[in-house]
Amino acid sequence: MSALLEVSALNKHFGGLHAVKDVSFSMAAAEIVGILGPNGAGKTTLYNLLTGFIPADSGSIVFNGRTLRGLAPYRIAGLGISRTFQLCRPFVGMTVLENVIVGGLGAQAGERGDLEARALALLEKVGLSGKEQLLVELLSYGDQRRLEIARALAARPALLLLDEPFAGLGSGEITDLSALIRSVHAEQGLTVMLIEHKLHEFMRLVGRVIALDFGEIIAEGSPEEIVRHPKVIEAYIGRGDEQAEEQADAA
Amino acid sequence: MFGKRIDYAGAVGFIVFMAALPLVFGGNYLIGVLTVSVIYGIWAVSWDFMSGLTGRENFGHSLFIGVGAYTAGFLNTAFGFGGWWSLPAAMVMAMLFAVIIGLPTLRLKGPYFALAMLSGAVIMQRLMLIFWEQTGGEEGINGIEPLIRSQLGFYYFALAALVLVTALLLALARSHWGLILRAIRGDEATCQAAGINVTFYKIASLVISAAFAGAGGAIYAHYQLQVSPQLFAVVTSITIITMVYVGGMASIYGPVGGAILLVLLTELLREFGEWRLMIYSCTLILILFFVPHGLIAPTWRRFRSKLRRAQ
Repeated sequence: MSALLEVSALNKHFGGLHAVKDVSFSMAAAEIVGILGPNGAGKTTLYNLLTGFIPADSGSIVFNGRTLRGLAPYRIAGLGISRTFQLCRPFVGMTVLENVIVGGLGAQAGERGDLEARALALLEKVGLSGKEQLLVELLSYGDQRRLEIARALAARPALLLLDEPFAGLGSGEITDLSALIRSVHAEQGLTVMLIEHKLHEFMRLVGRVIALDFGEIIAEGSPEEIVRHPKVIEAYIGRGDEQAEEQADAA
Repeated sequence: MFGKRIDYAGAVGFIVFMAALPLVFGGNYLIGVLTVSVIYGIWAVSWDFMSGLTGRENFGHSLFIGVGAYTAGFLNTAFGFGGWWSLPAAMVMAMLFAVIIGLPTLRLKGPYFALAMLSGAVIMQRLMLIFWEQTGGEEGINGIEPLIRSQLGFYYFALAALVLVTALLLALARSHWGLILRAIRGDEATCQAAGINVTFYKIASLVISAAFAGAGGAIYAHYQLQVSPQLFAVVTSITIITMVYVGGMASIYGPVGGAILLVLLTELLREFGEWRLMIYSCTLILILFFVPHGLIAPTWRRFRSKLRRAQ
């Protein structure tokens, strides 16, 4: 089976800081992969490298058989990688509907179809029906998160990169959003990569976890394997002992 | 649908009103003032298309105006081209300048673009003085031929140009292009994540904006029959920005009203002599203080929604 995304020996320095260090992994189509790691582990930097927002120092990124390194962010997005941001970054001053329509404008003209109809359908899917004509800045934080996902889906991506989609949401909202991600994945076979700190929902959602610490991949495997992995426990809690393991489980 | 019909009715009403004004009141003085106000309208609308929609404020719109006007002047006096060549030539030259300035500065974030435009205009004004043997220095270029001999005819020509430019830019602003420009104002990074080539849209919009500013400059040159380095003055750019603010940013049609209103205000205040600038400035401050989103476009929107509710 050929991989949808193939990352090898990716490196990025910020001055003396080695933010992403020899990172190699691959993703098959229709997988949901979680990126786990403490603050500053390099998760968001990895996203920025994948989407071209920051140029990598060395290594290669191949998506759908095309090399991404050196391409501008809008070109990479055009090839089918959509992302959301850790802090919501909607198009301020525009309506909810307009936000989603713009999300689809970057696609090839032939794939645009009826943008407005699609945007309305997406808004219904994420549960924002009835709020189409609201100015985006009037939305609650949870609704902005949903909108962010609708906007990203409007581009008809093959790979969706979510950066802490649950941050700042209540537990009910997290369950809804998680169900949404799962249903998009199931219906469209969308490949999803997810950074998240809310481990409970995260572990139920993803099929495979890549754990990062200090820019390096320290472990890779199923959620069950990862929470028991000594290096992961050490990264989160310090020394691995029985108590720490229990805490990791509970989280 | 009903809202659209009100918009069209408003546009037709405005055009008829502007066209009838000189017929009702007559007098070359009024025609002159109206012509200037209409030309300022072209400049304000073209500024609003780029800067109002994307939020990248251009403090040197006078650069494009001056380039357009001097292009018209040179072609007409030095090379003996007929007046009607001025318009396309002025547009092309202004577009060229927009590419030269936009390419390096619009990629950058922050105030670089505003500063580059401002300095560009100042530099051009200086260059016109330094190369006085070619440009006529302080005096500028004189003896430009009129496009249309009759003053009323020329006013109608300028009015038609304003209507055309406004309709064109309004259509663009309400298309996907305009949506993208407003999204750029909202968040550039998200635009890129949505696959939009932000740099292209910013530069292309500046080029479009410059083209019409240059055309306005050429029309102005054929109205004054003379061009001078004063055309590049920073105060012209600031006046245009003020007109857009008074009219309502990013509405495209609002700045037309803003331009006409402020030109008429300037004329009405003439009898106050030295107090004129003082009263003018205070009026502006009051307008911007009490209606920060502008006067014309928000008023029209309120009027329209009232009509719709009444229907």
